[in-house]
Amino acid sequence: MIRGLVSRPERLVPAVSLPVVVVAFACTPLISGEGLTTFDIRNALQGFAQLGLLALGLGLTMIAREFDLSVVGTYALGGMLAVQTGKSSAILGVVVAVAAGAAIGAVQGGLVAWLRIPSLPVTLATYIALLGLTSAISGGLSKTYTNSAATLWVDRTILVIFSPRSLVTLAAFLIAALMLGFTKRGRELRAIGGDRRASRVAGVRVERALIGLFTVSGTLAALGGALLSYSYASANPNPGLQPLILGAVAVLLGGVSLAGGRGLPLGLLAGTLSVALIAQIVAMTALPDYSTELLYAALLVIIVAIDAPGLRQTLDRLKARRNSKATSTITLASHDQYGAESP
Amino acid sequence: MTTANSEHRHATSAAGTGSARRKAGSATEAKGRIRWRRPGPLDIGIGIGILAVVLVGAMTSRFFSLDNARAILASTAAVGITAIGATFVMIVGSAVSLAVSQTATVAAMIFLSTQQLGLGVAILLALACGVAVTAAQGAVIGFWTANPIVLTIAAGFAIGGVAIWISGGATVYPKATAFRTLDSTPLGLPLAVYVLIGLALLAQWMLHRTTAGRQLYLIGENPAAARAAGLPVGRVTVIAWAFFGACIALTGIFLASFNTSANADLGGTLSLDAIAAVLVGGTAIGGGRGSALRTLGGALLISVISDLLLLRGFSTGVQLLAKGLLVLLVVVTVHLRSTRGRR
Repeated sequence: MIRGLVSRPERLVPAVSLPVVVVAFACTPLISGEGLTTFDIRNALQGFAQLGLLALGLGLTMIAREFDLSVVGTYALGGMLAVQTGKSSAILGVVVAVAAGAAIGAVQGGLVAWLRIPSLPVTLATYIALLGLTSAISGGLSKTYTNSAATLWVDRTILVIFSPRSLVTLAAFLIAALMLGFTKRGRELRAIGGDRRASRVAGVRVERALIGLFTVSGTLAALGGALLSYSYASANPNPGLQPLILGAVAVLLGGVSLAGGRGLPLGLLAGTLSVALIAQIVAMTALPDYSTELLYAALLVIIVAIDAPGLRQTLDRLKARRNSKATSTITLASHDQYGAESP
Repeated sequence: MTTANSEHRHATSAAGTGSARRKAGSATEAKGRIRWRRPGPLDIGIGIGILAVVLVGAMTSRFFSLDNARAILASTAAVGITAIGATFVMIVGSAVSLAVSQTATVAAMIFLSTQQLGLGVAILLALACGVAVTAAQGAVIGFWTANPIVLTIAAGFAIGGVAIWISGGATVYPKATAFRTLDSTPLGLPLAVYVLIGLALLAQWMLHRTTAGRQLYLIGENPAAARAAGLPVGRVTVIAWAFFGACIALTGIFLASFNTSANADLGGTLSLDAIAAVLVGGTAIGGGRGSALRTLGGALLISVISDLLLLRGFSTGVQLLAKGLLVLLVVVTVHLRSTRGRR
């Protein structure tokens, strides 16, 4: 069991990180001096809802060894579109936002899949364009959402700790887990990320899968943005790169490798919950803003450094050198022994 | 198949280190001749694009004026100096850095807060900071092959966090005014424009006439083959990043002299602007291709188009949107052009 875990980082990483963070969360009363309430858990789940859909989209593309930077742009655009078009009907706003996100994702997926352009420049250019578009729609200003019924509804408390927003996010993770676990989609996705040419030869329809993947990623980001701006009752034209860094931390704590081909939706769920709990710990202990930034940056740097293939090669080389040195001293020692015996 | 071929070609050309430089030089010349004889669809597209810009410019009042040309050059210099450094990093195959804005901000803060030590010392300290911080990222990327995007996002967060921590979130004001000389306008043009032109020529010379410059292309084209051929991949990558750091710090110094104070938002969207300029210059994100002079052209083109949109009364959002779409268009065209014939 333990051995199975160690040889499979996609299970080991989330299986370690989530319990560690949960223990830390349970210990926060020691620092803050106030007891944990169900309200704190509910807040952590709200943070999970804010980040979850974005992290899921980012994680799925990273399993297929693509990197969708544009999710932050789609997130902002989705929020803005939902606020601008959903004044009378909240559902309409979400539908418009999701449709736009899906269309943007499909176009990017088409460029990446059919023209075989690396996803980084495509999604980066789209990110710049989407920031511009969002700013052009809103005139560069934050827009308030006046439909207070919708604002109250998305954050309504359900079963003490949940809200419609966190339940939607959880449902998205469960659907992804079921889709990837019980259909061939999951294996196809990891195959595309592991070795694209081999998976193409093996009969995976790589182009179709990639377009579908980017469409899903755009849809999730837009939905996340729409729900967030309903909750805040306002939309911000430029959320900055903060959601992206939190999403990246969540995905990497979820056991996804930057080299692609590795990762599970339930791992992503655990990673995202970990980040949400960390955010709640920071909020409860009232640490200053910059220390949170430093904390996330340090986490990310550590994960990226450990994940880097070059570091592993260097360590292997050092180990091999030490081993060969050890064997050579052994042979020397035995040689001495023989030398001492011979006369 | 094609990859294997090109690996072989580069392994052999890199193995004859003595003649590598000459060979690569003649290869570029040959490419230049072919392009000159047969103008492809890309050249016609560029021609039409420039013609369109000139026509729209002629129809816009005040576009063809000395003041406007000066404004365009000044905004080109603000982005161009950083973009030249970013070209090196993209050629060597480390893609992009998303920590540029924060690094420039920190360099600017150091430059202003050390004014009482003298202008030269302040410039040196700011440059040293930019080089150290950026080269450290380059070392992790070059020696350990860490993922540059996630690493630089984390580094950007860390640098920004440290800047706020040390400055206490306050704006930095200088104690002496010697830096005003950097904001002067000899012969009617800002000093930064002369620095930009000098830097572009220096960079072009380094890329084409020095061993490290040629090695940048070889490593970017195929890092595995370069490593197998015994090229110092890690060291050359660090040199590229160190040069990039100096360019970022220079931009920070000019930003500081222009604004006469520095706060946490000074860097603005410099990260994205620099990447956009490099990509519009036709440098491939995968590495191995690109030139400093083309990046200069890219930065100039973006400035001209932004200026045109501004003069015609469009908002910053629309300018950003146009920039994103331009980057996307160039990325797709460059990619199609470079892979045509291979498939």
